[in-house]
Amino acid sequence: MSSARIIEKNNVPSGAFLVHGMPDVGLVGVIAASHLITEYKMAETAYMDSELLPPVAVLHEGLPYAPIRVFGDGDLVITISEMAIPADNIQLLMRTLLDWGQTKSPKLTISLSGMPVQNRQDIDIPKVFGVASNAALLKVLEDKGIEVLHEGYLVGPQALILRYCAEKNLPAIALLAQSFFNYPDPEAAAAALNEFANVTGKKINVTALLEKGEEIRLRARDVMKRTQQEMSKMKKGQEYDMPLYV
Amino acid sequence: MENKKKKQSIYDMIREYLDEAERLKEGIPSIERPSWDLQACTLEPLSSIFVTTREVIITADLPYAEPDSVKVEPINSDRLEITAEMRRKVKFEEMGIVHHEGEFSSFSCQTRIPMPVDMRHIKTRIKRGVLEIRIPRKRSYKIPVE
Repeated sequence: MSSARIIEKNNVPSGAFLVHGMPDVGLVGVIAASHLITEYKMAETAYMDSELLPPVAVLHEGLPYAPIRVFGDGDLVITISEMAIPADNIQLLMRTLLDWGQTKSPKLTISLSGMPVQNRQDIDIPKVFGVASNAALLKVLEDKGIEVLHEGYLVGPQALILRYCAEKNLPAIALLAQSFFNYPDPEAAAAALNEFANVTGKKINVTALLEKGEEIRLRARDVMKRTQQEMSKMKKGQEYDMPLYV
Repeated sequence: MENKKKKQSIYDMIREYLDEAERLKEGIPSIERPSWDLQACTLEPLSSIFVTTREVIITADLPYAEPDSVKVEPINSDRLEITAEMRRKVKFEEMGIVHHEGEFSSFSCQTRIPMPVDMRHIKTRIKRGVLEIRIPRKRSYKIPVE
């Protein structure tokens, strides 16, 4: 039977903020998580191994790494994927990540991602919306000045992470920055990180991220293209839909 | 024998057709190709098409593009070519890639327009490094509502 598992290489901190940066619209989560890993000079502590992932090794400085990895340091644990998550297996892969995450008793699970808007070109500073796994956390978001999404559809990794956390009664939020649908969006990632800092109290300098914006957009083209193919299979466009009244 | 060969051939053709249809349905090109062309020193930009009731909207992400150099040229009634010079050359080496050699100085791509449009009234703009092309759809007939 096909399965997935997290292999720990080093000690993964418990009771930390658990941040997920998975490929989705504008690659917002991946760009934001990557910036956090660089800013905090974090080291890899674990990785995902699964027969459900394509046979891929990511090379960094000549050495092979798994595409979905975990970085940890102090009160911060970050999961990041350097390749598109296969739509056909996303449920099992996210469930595995969440089940493993639960063993680390995170104080808060935070998904960083995008919210596609058609007029993104005309938005100077993307607005960040919040969703949460329970009512108390919705109140926390509102108290922090983050507008809560009340109705609508979420599709993709952050949708599953939030749903599974609600199911397990784990504290979780998702911060969704207005972004391009299928173009890498470093400005949206910076906006999501600013609200991440607002919620967690951590200091994050996004200047370098904004300065490298064009370079990031250029380098992220191929991952964005493959993510776009997977998003299409997930019916990601459903996020534009008006919700049914029930 | 000849008859058997012929039957096999038709079967193969149908199977190939169905395989291709399946690949197209999933948006997977039959042969994967890189998003760059070393001979032409060009990168293929990410682009997308959005169709409204009145317009076809095409966008392309052009980081490092010199706005004044962006060109949008109709090739025929259903195909556009987008080109743009980059402000600086980008080398594989800069991205840590040593198994390819080369540099890129411009973007280039062709986009097929999925329905009849009026190419005479194309509107373009570039903002946040993203090119937006708006082309009105052709309205050739009107159905009266009684």
